[in-house]
Amino acid sequence: MRKYGLLSLTLLLIIALLGTTVFAAAKILVYAKGADPRGLDPAYVDDGESGKIIVNIYDTLVKYKAGSTEIEPGLATSWKQTPDGLSWTFKLRKGVKFHDGTPFNAQAVKFSIDRQLPPLRTDDMPYASFTFEPVKEVKVIDSDTVQINLSKPYAPFLANLAMSLAAPIVSPTAVKKYGADFMQHPVGTGAFKFQRWDKDQQIVLVKNPNYWGVKAKVEKVVFKTTKENAVRASELLTGAVDIIDGVDPNDVKKLQSSGMKLIKNPGMNINYMGFMCQRKPFNDPKVRRAISMAINRAELVKYLYQGYAKVANGPLPNFIPGYAPELQPVGYNPTEAKKLLAEAGCQNFNFTLITYSNARPYNPVTGVKLAEAVQAELLKIGVKTNIKVYPWKEYKDVLMKGQEGEAFFYGWIGDNGDADNFLSLLDTNQISSSLNSAKYSNPKVDELLKQGTLTQDPKARVKIYQAVQKILLEDAPWVFISHGVDLAAYRPNVKGFALHPTGAAWLNLVTK
Amino acid sequence: MLKYIMKRLLMLIPVLLGVSLIVFLIMHLFTGDPAALILGQHATQAQVAALRENLGLNDPIYLQFGKFIWQLLHGDLGRSLMSRRPVLDDLCACFPATIELAFFSLLIATVVGVTVGVISAVKRYSFFDYLSMIGALLGVSMPIFWLGLILIIVFAVNLQWLPVAGRIEIGLEPARITGLYLLDSLLTGNWEAMLSTLRHLLLPGFALAAYSMAIIARMTRSTMLEVIKQDYIRTAHAKGLTESRVINHHALKNALIPVVTVIGLQLGFLLGGAVLTETVFSWPGLGSLTVNAILASDYPVVQGSVLLVAVVFVVVNLVVDLLYAYLDPRIHYQ
Repeated sequence: MRKYGLLSLTLLLIIALLGTTVFAAAKILVYAKGADPRGLDPAYVDDGESGKIIVNIYDTLVKYKAGSTEIEPGLATSWKQTPDGLSWTFKLRKGVKFHDGTPFNAQAVKFSIDRQLPPLRTDDMPYASFTFEPVKEVKVIDSDTVQINLSKPYAPFLANLAMSLAAPIVSPTAVKKYGADFMQHPVGTGAFKFQRWDKDQQIVLVKNPNYWGVKAKVEKVVFKTTKENAVRASELLTGAVDIIDGVDPNDVKKLQSSGMKLIKNPGMNINYMGFMCQRKPFNDPKVRRAISMAINRAELVKYLYQGYAKVANGPLPNFIPGYAPELQPVGYNPTEAKKLLAEAGCQNFNFTLITYSNARPYNPVTGVKLAEAVQAELLKIGVKTNIKVYPWKEYKDVLMKGQEGEAFFYGWIGDNGDADNFLSLLDTNQISSSLNSAKYSNPKVDELLKQGTLTQDPKARVKIYQAVQKILLEDAPWVFISHGVDLAAYRPNVKGFALHPTGAAWLNLVTK
Repeated sequence: MLKYIMKRLLMLIPVLLGVSLIVFLIMHLFTGDPAALILGQHATQAQVAALRENLGLNDPIYLQFGKFIWQLLHGDLGRSLMSRRPVLDDLCACFPATIELAFFSLLIATVVGVTVGVISAVKRYSFFDYLSMIGALLGVSMPIFWLGLILIIVFAVNLQWLPVAGRIEIGLEPARITGLYLLDSLLTGNWEAMLSTLRHLLLPGFALAAYSMAIIARMTRSTMLEVIKQDYIRTAHAKGLTESRVINHHALKNALIPVVTVIGLQLGFLLGGAVLTETVFSWPGLGSLTVNAILASDYPVVQGSVLLVAVVFVVVNLVVDLLYAYLDPRIHYQ
């Protein structure tokens, strides 16, 4: 009898375990992503995972328009520049409060920026110098007006102020209260308030009922961390989560056939093969053009990424002001390539390709696979290459030193949606900072880029950047391979979800 | 006995010192520079150099180690270089999840493993014996990553009997007392949370238990076979005791001594964090914390994690040794 008692108890437990379903009371939107954020203090983070959550907790002075990187008002309702470009004055939105009740005003803006300027700036703020480098001082004119004075005119500065990293405005009271722990206790003015963070598990935000903008349509948002792509997709299929990003191309068919909605956005990045332009043989633009002609980029992208990347027509993704579809790089022409190589005296030569071992957002098939694909292409015209692979951490050091390899694989993830952010990677001034890994130097390009930062009129800037691209496409310091695509998916009952080209999603617009 | 326990616990000190020295040397000599990783894609060489100086990474190794030990003696494990969170907070957040999963897995593994091992030994060369040993071979050979994904596909996606990943249903987290959801929900009478936690433990627990189960079954079987051959078992049979009493009371206790060693080792290993399982099931445990920290060259977190695992191993070994004394009255400690 005792045996049967235990048996029936076990059976009951099994039935209870399998049969339970629990319904969540309030409207909770669950967004599953692949990694925990680094932190929630805009001054101390540099990763997209943190950015995605930060844009829902904080606001910036200006923000990006939907679907593009053009700028529109945010916490600032209007702004003007002095003709010499050295001073920006922002009129701030009235009646806005931080989540802890602190009033939002010019002092809060000054505090948020000053903590990222010397002498308060600390050495471990990854984006402070990039975002605020030209800032000399921030002045409070009155509680609704703030003036930012620059040490040199810098047109992309406005775009910097729209970023999710470094630029969001923080509550001075909260920063003073929490100190270094502000990373885990964010307080902003955004559509959602921070509630809790269970490390590697979830971050819970609740609706801010006093938000100045479009108030959230759901009560809570939970950012769930699910590391494996396939598992995240499974969670979407079972309804355990409502939205996922970082969708693996292998899961797309299954998701679509199960009725999930997919978003495919061109990413703000560029995947390229750079030539070491200061050394033989690629100090000769003819040789660079020849090798560029030998690589069938369209086929490569189709084969490697199976439609989940866009062939690049230059360094800029198509939504960045300055992109022009009529500007194209050298086309695929293997016969012409062989001819050019012979003319330059480089018949059947070989060189070393260096690459990284891991996957990157702009290159999900890993640097090795990409290098091997290019190696195969070049072999078709008789150019032999050998590949040297480095782990990512070491790779960046190797590139900085610039001694290894004649060509290298690399990429760039855009920061502020401004054309200068991509094109300055080919500025002579960026050689010492190691961002110009190709060590390409063209005084005409440098001059145009400088003009681009000094010019105020957006239309004039577009013309300048188009001129820059024309030169770069001719000179071919890089082989422009592709732009990685951002893939997100959501359940059919979710409405209003949109992924911005910068990778952020404003969840106050979403309902389910 | 108490003196013995105290002596063993005092041995923790040289062990921890040795472990932290080795980890310290490995991290500093063989892994990359954290400064570049902290500063991301915009880092200039000057900024990286300044940060290195700031973090004290240019000081001689013995100085850096000395600073670390000094802070440790004051109970300060430092802050993560990447997230600026106190390392102790990170450990307190992640370790309970690992404890829960480890104990749950080990419970399944032990109960199933010992039972199967005993039956296989008693019914040696029977169909059950062959079947269970093949099962054990599979358990030891199956890649845990693959097993985890298959379990998810079958039980969570297709049959929808169990949840896909995570520790508990979103919104049901119990009030935090220990961080162990089962215990916390028990203490607060939150049955919904307890049930949800159990449901979430089943798949990762089973995936993780597969390997241990197999090892424990094989170990139990072989030690039982040894013991059954002994004279005192023949005597017990001769005295007229039932088969069940002979096996469960006389044979098993003696066979368990080596098995307890294996169980102890498995527990130590599981408590160190099963990274692959944690990745597949998004289990927020110690394994993922440590691996991510290693990849980011986040020295303080790695050091804290390894110290914790070392303490766990020492304690588990002590418990195992004490268990021997219980199982075998001939063993005596002073």
